[in-house]
Amino acid sequence: MNEILHPVQNGRVNGHESRVCGRANAVSTMATALKATGRSADAATKSMEADIPKSTRRARQYSPVAYLFVLPYLIAFVLFRFGPAIVGFLISLTDWQIVGKPNVVGLSNYRLLMSDPQFITSLANTGYFVLLTAPSLILLGLLLALLVDQRLHGRVITRTAIFMPYVVMSTVVGVIWLWLFNKESGILNYYLGLFGIRPVAWLTDPATAMPAVAMATLWWTVGFNMIIFLAGLQDVPQELEDAARVDGASEFNVFRHITLPLLAPATFVVVMLTLINTFQVFDQIYVMTGGGPSLATLTVILYLYDQAFTAFRLGYGSAVAYVVLVVLVALALIQRRLLPESEA
Amino acid sequence: MRTHILASVFVTIALLGLAACAPAAQPTQAPAPTQPAQPTAPSTVTKLNFWGGWTGPDGDVMRSMVKQYNDTHPDVQVTLTTQQWTPLFDKFVVSVQSGNQPDIMAMHGPDIPQFAAKGLLEPLGNVVTQEGFKASDFAQPAWDGTFYQSQQYAFPLDLHMHGVYYNADMLQKAGITPPTDWISGDDFVKIATTLTVDTNGKHPGDAGFDPQNIQQYGLAMYDNHHGFYMWYALLNQEGDHLLNANQAALDYPQADGEKAWTWLQDLVFKYHVVPAGETNPLQDFLSGKTAMLIDGPWEIPAMQQQAGLKWGTFPFPQVFQNKAVWGSGHVLTVPKQSDPKREAAAEAVIAWIIQNSGMWGQSGNLPALNAARATDTFKALPGRAGFLAEMPYEVMLPALPAEAQVFSAAATSPIVVVSQSILIQDKTVPDTEQAMNNAMNALLAQR
Repeated sequence: MNEILHPVQNGRVNGHESRVCGRANAVSTMATALKATGRSADAATKSMEADIPKSTRRARQYSPVAYLFVLPYLIAFVLFRFGPAIVGFLISLTDWQIVGKPNVVGLSNYRLLMSDPQFITSLANTGYFVLLTAPSLILLGLLLALLVDQRLHGRVITRTAIFMPYVVMSTVVGVIWLWLFNKESGILNYYLGLFGIRPVAWLTDPATAMPAVAMATLWWTVGFNMIIFLAGLQDVPQELEDAARVDGASEFNVFRHITLPLLAPATFVVVMLTLINTFQVFDQIYVMTGGGPSLATLTVILYLYDQAFTAFRLGYGSAVAYVVLVVLVALALIQRRLLPESEA
Repeated sequence: MRTHILASVFVTIALLGLAACAPAAQPTQAPAPTQPAQPTAPSTVTKLNFWGGWTGPDGDVMRSMVKQYNDTHPDVQVTLTTQQWTPLFDKFVVSVQSGNQPDIMAMHGPDIPQFAAKGLLEPLGNVVTQEGFKASDFAQPAWDGTFYQSQQYAFPLDLHMHGVYYNADMLQKAGITPPTDWISGDDFVKIATTLTVDTNGKHPGDAGFDPQNIQQYGLAMYDNHHGFYMWYALLNQEGDHLLNANQAALDYPQADGEKAWTWLQDLVFKYHVVPAGETNPLQDFLSGKTAMLIDGPWEIPAMQQQAGLKWGTFPFPQVFQNKAVWGSGHVLTVPKQSDPKREAAAEAVIAWIIQNSGMWGQSGNLPALNAARATDTFKALPGRAGFLAEMPYEVMLPALPAEAQVFSAAATSPIVVVSQSILIQDKTVPDTEQAMNNAMNALLAQR
């Protein structure tokens, strides 16, 4: 996850006055925020800029030693990420089947993909899954973060309880929800039955399978988004909110004009990671439905796995991977346009 | 400051404690008299790797057999590695490329062609005979299952096939005497109907029966690739073959196929004796939601572990004119390698396992070796009767190099899609079967 976070942060901070210190980030963000609310930000910015230690500014000039620190990661990145990615592209131009000699087939794998009904189904299913999960993961994450940020009794326990599922292994999550969703003896249908609702074939009905998987995913990963938002909330200066309240702003307006704009860096990270992670959904579906029933939960990564490692069509599977990459890059670019904080 | 000192003292003590533990632990392990009967250690030990996809109780049975072999053969030490079949096959294919292949590789008879066609397995020639076996020593489907293009590639280990498990208490309560041999499709439906009860105590077919409020079902069965396997058995019961002679396309009377699918679909949607869209048929049977279950003998250990369950087995119903049931069988292969000495050692190990496969019966699978099934060890095992009666009638899937595509168990596989469409979604049989045929023919044409 780190290699995703770093470029995001760099992208966001680039072009701002300061690059390294988190506190400085908050300052520049605040400046933007204050401008957005139509007030003069000069005074605030100046007074806070004085707080920035000198060393932070000096850090802007990279010393060659810095590269030494980056080197171990860079080597691992090239060996295990970048290199294989390039090789993967080359494989996608062949008909390689793991065994035997690969024949170069040019772009024919990509052409085949465009008319492969199962691939198109898998893309559509993935889009459906992203729609089902991403907005609710982001909004619910934000709501939960706001909730557990209040000074309430038991908030530590609540935070822990919400974050806990995220620590559980994906396969375990799948197995747990298989039990919960069991049509004949699952606990979910048992409780629904108390209200007179007939047993739902959660995972074996094509209509409910994807929503069921989405529910499990929401339970599993919403805690992660909550934690990022919660961290973002700690960066929102209490003074600004208090000042707005003194000026008579309603709680909603404080949230809308102060908290939300200042949360933008966190929002950017959450949106980006949620989109990437939901688009690449695999584990829980592999365990819970395997892509069925009748292809209802077949997602692109599942299809990739199926083609490359079950049918041994490595070239074709690699082509799927590159289509996924293109879609993800496109999503990231759209997001940079849409979210104001990414206009570096 | 004081707390820092205290902390470092604690850490030091803890580290010392750990360090002190390490040497102390060793002497207690070293003299452990685990192999008192072991002969004197030989100068050279051949270490062999054995891979198999047995991840349940079957893996434990094979592990204990391997241990017994190692204990009695100090010059050869076998290590068994188990992993689920699909990832295991991935690993196997890659391992041969890098020269790290196992010395013994387990698979199923129908898996042989895909690996043989890739050149990962070599024909055994007359090795199986040299190790002292002949065709008549084995159940015929098992022996036949080790051949591809009239060359033998493996030693037959066992057979396993669909059969019917029943809950003895539930049958007794319904006044049904459990069958012991093959019964007709109609009789089977009759039993399943008697065992299906709605909340008012009515059975399917009774006036006022409410299929929406069924309390107990007669039967649990799989709606994944096993749905196709059942259909394949019924097709064979009608005397048809799935593929044409050169295995390049589907070639069976489509009307017969429709009859077979319709019979299966009716169990769910006409007779209501099978719950539609079951998540876990085995679990439904074990927990008493259903009175019967169509599954293989690999579930026998699960039956034995279920406290309070009284169970038995009888053959898959004979719906059409012939007896036939889908099945498969584990085989042991010697992957291609450069060291003939290791190859010979691996073959000797396999021969020993086959000779002693009466023990393997504990895994639920039926030993392919006739003599192994005749041992007292095997005969003492409960609940095998139904499967044993089926042995001569077992039909395996056609042996195809493109098996992993045509008969894949993945969600994208035409055999899974057809099964789920008909048995879960109640789609019309002729259209769905036509779609299956098109998809399978496309896959067959790829090679």
